[in-house]
Amino acid sequence: MSEMITVTIDGIECTCEKGEYIYDVAKRNGIFIPVLCRHDAFPDHRACCRICIVEVEQRGRTKVVTSCVYPIDGECEIRTNSERIQEERAVLFALLGHRAPEAEVLDDMSASLDMSGFKRLISVDNEKCILCGLCVQACNALGTGAISTVQRGTDKKVDTPYDKPSEFCVGCLSCANVCPTGAIEYSQTDATRTIWNREFELVRCAECGEVMGTPESIRHAVGAEGDAPTVCDSCRKKRLADEMMHTYRYV
Amino acid sequence: MINGTENILVCCGTGCIANGALGVADAIEAELAARGLSDDVQVKVTRTGCSGECEQGPIVRFMPRDLMYYRVKDRDAKAIVDSLDGEPVKKLLFKKDGQTYEHMDDNPFYALQHKVVLRDVGIIDPLNIDEYIARGGYEGLKKALQMTPDEIITEVEKSGLRGKGGAGFPTGRKWRTAAGYDVFPKYIVCNGDEGDPGAFMDGSTMEGSPHAVIEGMIIGALAIGAEEGVLYIRDEYALARDHIQHAIDDAYAAGILGESIMGTDHKLDLSIVRGGGAFVCGESTALMASIEGRVGEPRAKYIRSVQRGLFDHPTVLNNVESLASIPTILREGGEKYAEVGTEKSKGTKVFAMVGKVKHTGLVEVPMGTTLRTLIYDIGGGIIDDRPFKAIQTGGPSGGCIPEELLDLPVDFDTLVEYGAMMGSGGMIVMDDRSCMVEVARYYVDFLCEESCGKCTPCREGLRQMRAILTDICEGRGKPGDIELLERIGRTMQDASLCALGRTAPNPVMTTIKFFRDEYEAHIDRRECPAGVCADLTQFAIDASACTGCGMCSRACPAGAISGERKEAHVIDPAKCIACGSCREACRFNAVLTERRPS
Repeated sequence: MSEMITVTIDGIECTCEKGEYIYDVAKRNGIFIPVLCRHDAFPDHRACCRICIVEVEQRGRTKVVTSCVYPIDGECEIRTNSERIQEERAVLFALLGHRAPEAEVLDDMSASLDMSGFKRLISVDNEKCILCGLCVQACNALGTGAISTVQRGTDKKVDTPYDKPSEFCVGCLSCANVCPTGAIEYSQTDATRTIWNREFELVRCAECGEVMGTPESIRHAVGAEGDAPTVCDSCRKKRLADEMMHTYRYV
Repeated sequence: MINGTENILVCCGTGCIANGALGVADAIEAELAARGLSDDVQVKVTRTGCSGECEQGPIVRFMPRDLMYYRVKDRDAKAIVDSLDGEPVKKLLFKKDGQTYEHMDDNPFYALQHKVVLRDVGIIDPLNIDEYIARGGYEGLKKALQMTPDEIITEVEKSGLRGKGGAGFPTGRKWRTAAGYDVFPKYIVCNGDEGDPGAFMDGSTMEGSPHAVIEGMIIGALAIGAEEGVLYIRDEYALARDHIQHAIDDAYAAGILGESIMGTDHKLDLSIVRGGGAFVCGESTALMASIEGRVGEPRAKYIRSVQRGLFDHPTVLNNVESLASIPTILREGGEKYAEVGTEKSKGTKVFAMVGKVKHTGLVEVPMGTTLRTLIYDIGGGIIDDRPFKAIQTGGPSGGCIPEELLDLPVDFDTLVEYGAMMGSGGMIVMDDRSCMVEVARYYVDFLCEESCGKCTPCREGLRQMRAILTDICEGRGKPGDIELLERIGRTMQDASLCALGRTAPNPVMTTIKFFRDEYEAHIDRRECPAGVCADLTQFAIDASACTGCGMCSRACPAGAISGERKEAHVIDPAKCIACGSCREACRFNAVLTERRPS
């Protein structure tokens, strides 16, 4: 078993293993740290939104660190809501809010902070994306790797290679579902779904008629050799339950 | 008498090549051949790396008489060969304040320098391994091969060498930490991605003395237990890459690299990885991501590269200049190296001095030399003897240092206490005709394109800073802008992911700190005191000072200046685009700037 350490977070004593991230320890102890680019589904965190910054005081020195990736390596005092953190978090929310004025979640998250003094900042028109990169992480985790961040600096954005429809995209919508601001647009008709400039057919459940996904996403999920299902999950369960009822009736 | 010991050194650094050095070398060789001096009695012509005083190039020096000629043209070849055993060619010697300097070390530009990293640059043919060995090259490695890793590291620790890429982390400590991990393979990586505007220290070192970098890497590999190394060299440094590759090939052929280093059981393979031209890839973790073939984005460095770096293995990343210091440290001992410099910054530092200084070029001085010495004694002062305004050090991560700090010693720590930094060694000198708001805007604009764009404070902070600074420069500044810039800057310094983002606001923060009045003039009075910002400035000609020489009207791209020869000229304000070309062209200070009425 690895070394146990006791730290204080906002005055509360917390015990953790050496190397655990501040964010995880705080969460376990009921201390809420706001975050945008961190998702439990992924083991690695990009640590790019910087909203989860906290102050760490250790051996007489105070520094600002990102709690989602900062491994606790010894006794220290952690402050998640000090004056300095509140000020810098407000600036970060203001910067994101002007980058993505359409991302409403930012207003909710920054409601408790003093957001005055930012009227002067310029806004990017019609933007919702905050470049947290969760969509890219999701796509990579699925093994599809159809999207990534492209360009750098202020021109950075998430896109398919050369802004062309990607042959690797399976139209599964994982990117859109994981997006914290709803920035990834797609459209759907009765028979088709369009995302990242590519149109997919839709497969419907043979029983209830609900959308099951695209042929590509179903094939990706079951693998090249697997049998593609013809009914949706809930109908499959229903069918199974019916069979069991039928079997047990005679027991 | 010509006796065959003569060696004509022709500087073929990038700057001199641009000024025609290759043609000069060919012309001298042709002249020697014509006189039969390339047959029985040989006079050698050596194409060397950068000899330093780029502004005076192409530079030809010949040994053993140590005559140094400046601004040499092809047509001077005959006179130069004549002077081999005759009188020096007067017109090609360095002249200053009526004095003529024959030898290199008489020239004040060189007299105050102390060369360790550049000891062979400008003297040897970088493509000839034997010339490097003849001057003591690979002696340090021979010594290192007799030592234990611990002894090598102790020697480096004794030298006090700190990372010369700008961060100043003790090299010995870095090596010791990496040596302490028992995870293999380990890697040694050389950072040759020098990207600061105006900087060419590392490029010149790789071009002029590639074996010094390679020797430093081999010694580092022995110390930490690495058997593979990578040199990450930026795409734009084609010449440096060629020379390093040539040197690697020669070192393999000589049995210095490969399966058995100098006949011992140690082995090391070195290869070059070409950078793609992204400034951010000079940041250590982005650099490693780039080598691995991933997007060049930094990662949080709470776990250091010495523990988990390239391919998640212990990795030592050193800058070119640090590595090129290692052979001397091993050869002459760490204590000897530590004799120069200041208490906490030992040894020397190479600077690339450019901008409005008379003698631009590459200089190496002991740590702790003052900026005033660098600019006035070595650099010869400001062009046209105009007033000095600021010196920008350390590129986009650095700051602008005003006149009142010129007497501070330049080392890793002193300037930081005053809110500026030494940085990697790029130095841009600015005179009174530089607008400090515009300078800050330039660097922020550069970083808007060169930030990786991964984290919020750097990407979005720069975007907002650029918008505010552009507004200020164009007369739309508002009260409170300075405070807002500082507010964004402080958050960037604290909350950015990597060192690029944390230092990105430095050009803005230092210009606000030292030149706040200039910001206020732009915002409160819509005035650019330096007469640079076109929207705030109008130009006029002082009729009493104008000689009617016509230089200004020839320089004007808008055809806005008219006047008879030898009579005072006038600027048509309707045509003037306020570019400032006339002011640059005028030799009589007759072009005046004034506040443009709104």
